[in-house]
Amino acid sequence: MHVLIINGSPRVKKYSNTDKILAKFTEGLSSQGNTFEQYEVSDRKQWDSIREAWDRNGNILIAIPLYVENIPGLLLEFLASVTPKDGSTKIAYILQGGFAEGAQLRCGEEYLVMLSKRLGCEYKGTLIKGDNFSIRFFEGDMQDRVTGPYQKMGEVYGQTGDFFGEECRKFTGPEIFPAHIRLLLGIIFKTIGRIMFGKIAKGWGCEKPLNYKPYGT
Amino acid sequence: MVLIVNTTKDTGITQELQAHIGNKGIEAQIVEAGDMKISHCIGCNYCWLKTPGVCSIKDDYEEILKKIIKADQLWVISDTALGFIDHKGKNIFDRILPIATMYLKFKGDQMRHVARYKKRTDVGLIVTGEADMDYLKKWTVRCALNFESESLGAYSKESIEEAAACMS
Repeated sequence: MHVLIINGSPRVKKYSNTDKILAKFTEGLSSQGNTFEQYEVSDRKQWDSIREAWDRNGNILIAIPLYVENIPGLLLEFLASVTPKDGSTKIAYILQGGFAEGAQLRCGEEYLVMLSKRLGCEYKGTLIKGDNFSIRFFEGDMQDRVTGPYQKMGEVYGQTGDFFGEECRKFTGPEIFPAHIRLLLGIIFKTIGRIMFGKIAKGWGCEKPLNYKPYGT
Repeated sequence: MVLIVNTTKDTGITQELQAHIGNKGIEAQIVEAGDMKISHCIGCNYCWLKTPGVCSIKDDYEEILKKIIKADQLWVISDTALGFIDHKGKNIFDRILPIATMYLKFKGDQMRHVARYKKRTDVGLIVTGEADMDYLKKWTVRCALNFESESLGAYSKESIEEAAACMS
């Protein structure tokens, strides 16, 4: 099959975690004899081309970072500008986020089911996974460790054309963490986590504490 | 203080709201944002890691953000698209990231960002077009988690009196 892939992230391609996920995913997709064309919603100059590809394609995959419990405003703006399809187009989604638990992405997933109907497409499932915030801070093997598993999911989608299978369901990982893991992570967040974020911030040229209040208390 | 951000161009809605709440002695600030220059969030993370609390996009949103962190309630009035609030309404919410810090914690059984400010601002929605209201109500509850606050609900323009009754 040939797939139109839309990177729905508003972040520029160079720094887009979603783009790095798609790089691995499309390796798997291509390995199964499929072809694809990919566009970036973050680049408004591509919007006419994406709309043209939207009208022309029967298999669409939108990759989305979760923004405040749903799709980003920019993607919403773009999708409101396309012509709804006639019901024969299949649409699937990759929904990814920073928080690690699957439960964080379910409100967004629920909308994508409804969105598919509004777009006149047949819903073919959403691949859900969190814990992706760090992708932009890693390179090489460290980055591959986070994005690598998406290659297998690309193969699965390439074979089945959907995300309904058990493998995709398991890919999400835990819906919520058990209490003892939450306790442990809570300690890490307050200690090592803060040091780590502080180091990243310094590397970005940050001169203020990360809990700085620029507009008073 | 009740902050009402109207992202539609219909100022009649805010006038109607004012008429409903005016005699209740509620301190309300109304921002007519329909013609304001408010970008989408570009996900740069500068507000968390480079200029903590300050958005890298210099547009009309900063004034709204300064009001949000002092408000008891934030009401966003939005047109709808694809069964949801439209992009102008969603951008108001997407741009709230500076009110959170990069730091993480567990709130209940789920991860959240540690809030930057003490104030807790409850969140409500008023929509002017057709939308899936059940979903919007559910989304507003989830959305309020980002403010560490409570949802005030989602209301259609036709139910504006109900929304006004929740303003205090």
